Amino acid sequence: MGLIALSACNLEQEVEIDLPDYEVRPVLEAYVEPGERYRLLLTLSAGYFAPLPSLDNLLDELLLDSAEVSITHDGVTYQLENTLLFDPTTQKIYNYAAGPNDLVPTESDLPFELNITLPNGETIRAETRLLPQVEIDSVVIEFPETGNPRDTLARALTYFTDNPNTDNFYRRMLQLNSLDSLPEQDFVTDDRLVEDSTIAFGTGFNYKVGDTLITTLYHISEDYATFLESVDGAAAANGNPFGQPSPVISNLEGTANALGIFTGLVSFRRNDIVMRN
Amino acid sequence: MIRLLLLFSGLLFTLFIQAQDVTISGTIKDGENGEDLIGATVAVPELGIGTSSNAYGFYSLSVPTGDTLKVVFSYVGFQSQAFTLLPRQDTTFNINLNTGVQLDEVVVKANSFQEQINSTEMSVEAITTREAKLVPVLLGESDILKTIQLKPGIPSGSEGRTGLFVRGGAQDQNLIVLDEAVVYNANHLFGFFSTFNTDAVKDLKIYKGGFPAEYGGRLSSVIDVKLKDGNNQKFAGSGGLGLISSRLTLEGPIQKDKSSFIVSGRRTYVDLLTRQVNRANEDNEDFSPIPDYYFYDLNAKVNFQLSDKDRLFLSGYFGRDVFGFSSDFFNFDFDWGNATGTARWNHVFNPKLFANTTFTYSDYQYNINNQITGFSFGLGSNIADANLKTDFFYAANNQHTVRFGAMATHHTFTVGRLQAGSDDGAVSFSAGQEFQGVEFGAYVSDEMEFSDALSVNAGLRFSGFNNDGKTYVGLEPRVAARYKLSDRWALKSSYARMYQYLHLIANAGVALPTDIWYPSTQRVQPQRSDQVATGASYLLGSQYFLNFELYYKWLDNQLQFVDGAQIFVNDELEDEFAVGEGRAYGMEFSIEKKEGRLTGWIGYTLALTRLQNFETLDPGGRFAQESEGFGPFNPIYDRRHDISVVALYELSKRWTASATFVYGSGDLTWLPPGRFTFQDVPGAGFEAVVPDYRERNNYRLPAYHRLDLGLVYKFFPKWGESDLTLSVVNAYDRRNAFFIFFEPEFEGEESNTGGINIPNRIAANQVSLFPILPSLTWNFKF
Repeated sequence: MGLIALSACNLEQEVEIDLPDYEVRPVLEAYVEPGERYRLLLTLSAGYFAPLPSLDNLLDELLLDSAEVSITHDGVTYQLENTLLFDPTTQKIYNYAAGPNDLVPTESDLPFELNITLPNGETIRAETRLLPQVEIDSVVIEFPETGNPRDTLARALTYFTDNPNTDNFYRRMLQLNSLDSLPEQDFVTDDRLVEDSTIAFGTGFNYKVGDTLITTLYHISEDYATFLESVDGAAAANGNPFGQPSPVISNLEGTANALGIFTGLVSFRRNDIVMRN
Repeated sequence: MIRLLLLFSGLLFTLFIQAQDVTISGTIKDGENGEDLIGATVAVPELGIGTSSNAYGFYSLSVPTGDTLKVVFSYVGFQSQAFTLLPRQDTTFNINLNTGVQLDEVVVKANSFQEQINSTEMSVEAITTREAKLVPVLLGESDILKTIQLKPGIPSGSEGRTGLFVRGGAQDQNLIVLDEAVVYNANHLFGFFSTFNTDAVKDLKIYKGGFPAEYGGRLSSVIDVKLKDGNNQKFAGSGGLGLISSRLTLEGPIQKDKSSFIVSGRRTYVDLLTRQVNRANEDNEDFSPIPDYYFYDLNAKVNFQLSDKDRLFLSGYFGRDVFGFSSDFFNFDFDWGNATGTARWNHVFNPKLFANTTFTYSDYQYNINNQITGFSFGLGSNIADANLKTDFFYAANNQHTVRFGAMATHHTFTVGRLQAGSDDGAVSFSAGQEFQGVEFGAYVSDEMEFSDALSVNAGLRFSGFNNDGKTYVGLEPRVAARYKLSDRWALKSSYARMYQYLHLIANAGVALPTDIWYPSTQRVQPQRSDQVATGASYLLGSQYFLNFELYYKWLDNQLQFVDGAQIFVNDELEDEFAVGEGRAYGMEFSIEKKEGRLTGWIGYTLALTRLQNFETLDPGGRFAQESEGFGPFNPIYDRRHDISVVALYELSKRWTASATFVYGSGDLTWLPPGRFTFQDVPGAGFEAVVPDYRERNNYRLPAYHRLDLGLVYKFFPKWGESDLTLSVVNAYDRRNAFFIFFEPEFEGEESNTGGINIPNRIAANQVSLFPILPSLTWNFKF
């Protein structure tokens, strides 16, 4: 809104700028999801004003191929081949994957170790674990008690129980009607400020009778929470003069100066239909 | 150091056993309204001796017994007064000086410039309320704190950057005192206006270096604002109606010559307009109501002449910014502001010894409250000080003026106090830290005049701070020397060490009300600076004053945030800090003209500031991976060139024109040189462009420049005086950069599913804040 107002006063204008030199680096997204294949996406970053790929040459421009990738768990090393996977349901792409039968166990306390050697010999290493699943206790649908017949929209309050004996981090996502819709809400939080063990997320009064609310609660690692916050922070600082820019904070080691995340991803999901009692 | 203390002890002993001459002493006031005149001169021309009144109008001059002497009292813009005195015994002369409108030939012209040549003080700038009222200003709101930023060494202008960055210092390194009470946030409306109502201010002085020993607690500047005492001769008033605010000041005697009061208030009224707009659109479902916003200030002061030797002053300030928004389901309130109170007692022990004892209370707080059906959220921070200090001024003889004193401040810090949860108590969040700290200090200094040419002001301050079971102490030597090559030429040098025990947790560059003051603790050590400065002053003709200074400043224990720091509601804030050092150096030049139809100044600053060797306080911690250490880098306020030109021209008795021009190298900003694609987990959207930030502050914005024009027309009605003030800010409509952002542009409709959207281009957009902005203000006084 503020930027629209500025445009109206002609206070916003396009400018030519000459940014400092930028060294392209690998970008890794590897989520270890219980019951899913070992798979990951390895891409390359680009200079901000480098030519943008089109949908036609997106994969050629973006993907970092020909790396040697393995994940070791419980004494077994899984080789991830350089192959292109596209999941039409979630519309996600992966360019390295283990065999279709090499599935992530549904539960394990043991670490997962990632080793990548890039075509130029540089390396990426990381380690993660699966965290216990945290269930959603309830999703409460509430209509306003204003007595105004025009107030027909409801809100949802999502409650879950935190384990007070450990430091926990969560990501909660709310989607409307279908899983491939962009999230209505997508929050990362932790339990540092929680006084007792109940945590709640609320929405505005935005949902009509018949809507399906899909709530997903991820129990995430501190590394992943930090990474997500830094990605959000980096995106938010662009265009916000009061924002504090920050590099993305990764949990990757090795010589490749890569950015990204290698993390276990344990979730709990439920669907609720908005209706009046 | 022990040697130094012994030297001081010996010196003081010598001083106290001297004093064979007689002393003339007293106070110098404005005859029209009884205000103390600060820096008025008292001279005995035939002996070539003199002094000036201190910050409370008190002076003390030793003269030899014997023949009659002519003593001359003078002050810039006032008619001088001369008295013949036969010095036989100590004498009290309380003098009222009057403005010399009818007697131009005896009105002192270059008095203040000569005083600057004579003084050991350097790196000092002052601004008068007259200058502040004539300089063209944003939306017609005259602002003495903004006007001082037109002086060299205090970067001016800069779109939206509202903090003060003096000689490469950060925005928390300025000690701002209002009638000796600390003001922790001197800003309204995110810093576009200051908390100081020009109508109520008597005097503003800023020290950029060469700090006198009586000041401590901040590294980079001392901004000393004194409120008017109130007219003790007659009832008077002043005020104005502006584009966004109105103000009114009333003052007068409680008992003529003995006591007076002053009350001053100011309030913005844009909210009155926006409420009407909201009311008119109540039934329009497409209309988004405009939030309420206003700010106000109240100043009040009384003073009493209790006896010939005692005066009591009571003053206070209260100001708030209020932002609010509400709907059927939602209620949001955000207010912030300062409160200060000062009780001051001046006592003249004898003609040579004057004391000022002050008790002050300062409070800054912000509160955010939000209620959404069934849930509430409250967040606030606060710093509250109770301070007692006493300052002695001992005019031993005309070669030694000794100042000594002590202070103690009890600080209470409430940092990020949060209460949030559901009304039924099922969900509850809380956070917040509280600290109780005690800051203390004692000092002594001696202004020594070794000869007509050489004067030295040497001082030592001892300071300390206790908090969190840890006590820090520091010795702060201060020395300033002046060597006069002639009555027109003076060379000056100074050195000052400063300790700072408080830290502002702030986003660099922008003054936000949610900035938090944080004490030194076990892990967070006090900041320290050492500054050397040297320069020359020259009086050119009778009207022009030239000043040139070089400075170099070492800064230690400087705080920065680690990458990705969480500063909002965090009980482990210290884990987000990185500590390093800084270097700032530069050159300042100014030429100033204070008398005649054309007055004003030109200032130029060449400066460099660099921060380096930062290490996180939490090695191996949450954010340490890329932040074990970083730097060197230049802070955003590192401005290489800064030019300001201020001209005030009195066209006639009724018309005065003014113009200011500022030019500065662009501020630094942190832009991402790279980008990456982030597809995220199933269910989340695909982000084709995420910024990859690397080195801090890696891009310099385009140069900033702006011309402001002003025109004042005076009326002289029977009841007093009024004027219409026209200000045109940004007269040639320059689009200065506030910030730059990158905007991906897409062809066609963007997917609203989790699918892949690839922009066809990325644009760099520059946002400015101010187009050409004219405003009209009506001012009056009676």
